[in-house]
Amino acid sequence: MKKRTLGLLAYFIILAVPIYWMINTSLKTDNEILKQLTFWPKDPTLKNYIEIFTSSIWRNSFFNSIVYVCLNVLITLVAAVPGAYAFSRWKFRGDHHLFFWLLTNRMAPAAVFMVPFTELYYTMHIYDTHWAVALAHCLFNIPLAIWILEGFMAGIPREIDETAFIDGYSFGRFFRKVFFPLIAPGIGVAAFLCFTFSWIELILAKALTVTEAKPVVVTLTVGIGAEGVRWGLLAAAGVLTMVPGAIVVYFVRNYLAKGFALGRV
Amino acid sequence: MVCKRRVGLAVQLVIALALLVPASAGAQDTIGKWVDVFQPSVLNQKQQRQELEWFKQAAEPMQGLEIKSVAEGITTHKWEAKVLAQAFYEITGIKVTHDIIGEGEVVDRVQRQIQTQRKIYDIYVNDADLIGTHLRLDSALNLSDYMKGEGAEVTNPMLDLDDFLNPEFGQDYDGNQLQLPDQQFANLYWFRYDWFTDPKYKKEFQDEYGYELGVPVNWAAYEDIAEFFTGKTIDGQTVYGHMDYGKKSPSLGWRFTDAWLSIAGVGDKGLPNGYPVDEWGIRVDGKTPVGASVERGGAANSPAAVYATTKYVEWLKKYAPPYAASMTWSEAGPTPARGNVAQRVFQYITWLSDPAFNSPDSPVTDATGKPVWRVAPTPHGKYWDEGMKVGYQDAGSWTILKDSVTGKYRKAAWLWAQFCVSKSVCLKKFLVGRTPIRKSTVFSDYLAKEEEKGTYGGIVTFYKSPVEHMWTDSGPNVPHYPLLAEQWWKNVALAVTGEATPQEAMDSLAYKMDDLMGKMRLNQYSPKLNPKKSREYWLSQPGSPKPVRSEEEPETMPYDEMLKKWKNQ
Repeated sequence: MKKRTLGLLAYFIILAVPIYWMINTSLKTDNEILKQLTFWPKDPTLKNYIEIFTSSIWRNSFFNSIVYVCLNVLITLVAAVPGAYAFSRWKFRGDHHLFFWLLTNRMAPAAVFMVPFTELYYTMHIYDTHWAVALAHCLFNIPLAIWILEGFMAGIPREIDETAFIDGYSFGRFFRKVFFPLIAPGIGVAAFLCFTFSWIELILAKALTVTEAKPVVVTLTVGIGAEGVRWGLLAAAGVLTMVPGAIVVYFVRNYLAKGFALGRV
Repeated sequence: MVCKRRVGLAVQLVIALALLVPASAGAQDTIGKWVDVFQPSVLNQKQQRQELEWFKQAAEPMQGLEIKSVAEGITTHKWEAKVLAQAFYEITGIKVTHDIIGEGEVVDRVQRQIQTQRKIYDIYVNDADLIGTHLRLDSALNLSDYMKGEGAEVTNPMLDLDDFLNPEFGQDYDGNQLQLPDQQFANLYWFRYDWFTDPKYKKEFQDEYGYELGVPVNWAAYEDIAEFFTGKTIDGQTVYGHMDYGKKSPSLGWRFTDAWLSIAGVGDKGLPNGYPVDEWGIRVDGKTPVGASVERGGAANSPAAVYATTKYVEWLKKYAPPYAASMTWSEAGPTPARGNVAQRVFQYITWLSDPAFNSPDSPVTDATGKPVWRVAPTPHGKYWDEGMKVGYQDAGSWTILKDSVTGKYRKAAWLWAQFCVSKSVCLKKFLVGRTPIRKSTVFSDYLAKEEEKGTYGGIVTFYKSPVEHMWTDSGPNVPHYPLLAEQWWKNVALAVTGEATPQEAMDSLAYKMDDLMGKMRLNQYSPKLNPKKSREYWLSQPGSPKPVRSEEEPETMPYDEMLKKWKNQ
């Protein structure tokens, strides 16, 4: 027991070091960061955070990221829930192959899609909009969500569906009233994983946006220029980038524990 | 209901009236407001008004247009985005989004826009290093023709191209202006003036090396000074005689592509870039690149290039702080400000506008906040001859990609570019970002006074000096800058880590460049490789590639004496 506690403690400390380091750095001036190694700010400053909150560039970047990530999670779930239901409940020719093919999409390198997506979205007149990134991320997130949700749904006995239909439920009503609550943890897990992927994805987000929908991951890379790196500012932005993810985790935390135990994660 | 409708009508009426108020009524005040902001200026207020008024009138047909421009993240460009874009909008009615992104990303997007012909930005501030790429891909708008023809009515009569410090950076072989400098910064020698003029060190150095401690004219002297200071204890800390960086990362490439070989003396004579062999060791025949390796007449793996690499690695290991080898360009930039570095052979002056180098609490300023460091001309290697370039200047230059930006967007973009380089704003822009582009700026009375106070650590002095034109960017010989530049760090890193000797590293670089150039099929002046001949054949020809030379005699010059000499020229 003691060993286990110690082990866990060590694990958490190792896990927390980068986060502590980032928060610590974000509260220092660049002069202090570059001059010497200090474990806490000698002369704490909120200048880096103030700069981010007062700069319309940073504010817009955070806003853009949140918009397309939410859009993407929404589109993904709307597409993946019925898809996963079909895979889990019906047998059709080539279903296994199709399922596996979906999963291989997840493995495709994002860079391959840069040029085709750019061309496609230009033609559709949605280049440099939130829709462009939200749709592009579907390529990776829909297979992931289907895969996770299918695992959940397969774990729910088919008899439940049949009982509901015998009781006179329409398919829509059954789905809403009976099935959906049962797979809620799965949806929580899927939403969380889609959110994190979309939030930190850089290659496509960079290629498909210019100024109108520039996300925070792209703005973060601007701190590295001909005048060097503004470590404090980047660290502050890094800390703020973690916040939305933390909020999402907080809301789906109960589902996550169940979800990871049940699904195919 | 009626009441509601009336209120609605009243609101509409007020809005309509507000829109009807002629913009010109407030314009005069607008111009006055911005004239006040753009102080000091080399123009008097009347001339400033006249120039801004011209912008207002020239932009009338484009009022309400929205354009996008892009530049890398340095102070100058951030100021353009924040202040100049707002001023331009208020004066002309053209809304500019001046996007600030990383330099690598700018180059990526330039390439993407050229390849796809899809407009990402209306105008780029893109390094003039790409001049060879643009002239061969025929991608950039020929500004010389444009100013005379299609763009005549949107070309500022007060633009004064002759006033630019280095318009040649953005010119092709025939003197056509494809890119127009917006900001430039040199890469200079940086040193601790206070230590160099300290009688104690001067005497010690004289006793030990037999000549006077001062600004090194050549690498032999730089090396002696590096050795002299390394390991000394000054102000209670161990100091180093050299600073550099060596981490295996793309930024290691800039350490070389930004003309390190030319500083060693790799290329041929002739300004701005050495002809027929340039600062990268690429030989051209007419306008056609014919090779980078010695076997094809180039000099990228010549004895001079190997000497450049050898010295870089040797100094890094012997005289730089132990952490230097694992640093990137960005990390190493501000390190001399820690106060434990005596000199640095390769210092971009953009860093020097940073508070780390100028604030009163910095270890490299005196009690009044004035720098105790100075910048001076880069010392050159033993292969360098009189008449060659001797260092690098980066010149972020306005570039319009002609296939994807046309008509009124092109005009609006050109107006915006001229606005950012206008005499009305240039001096102010220099005070913000210290990246001068005009002679009138560096020779202004205002800067002369500041210079006397010692505000800029010799930066302005350098720009006024008769030698400034010897610091140039990468020239038109480089047929495809992004592709070839990428090869440098991968190969040079082998020499830093010891995986290869400097000769092997430069051989592999030169052959790789030959291989890539041999495969290029560009729109015009595409590379056509020379047949291979023996190294001896090429090394025995006059000019570059040059055969092995013996060691040179170290030479220094006291900084103050050098200033006097410049003043008298």
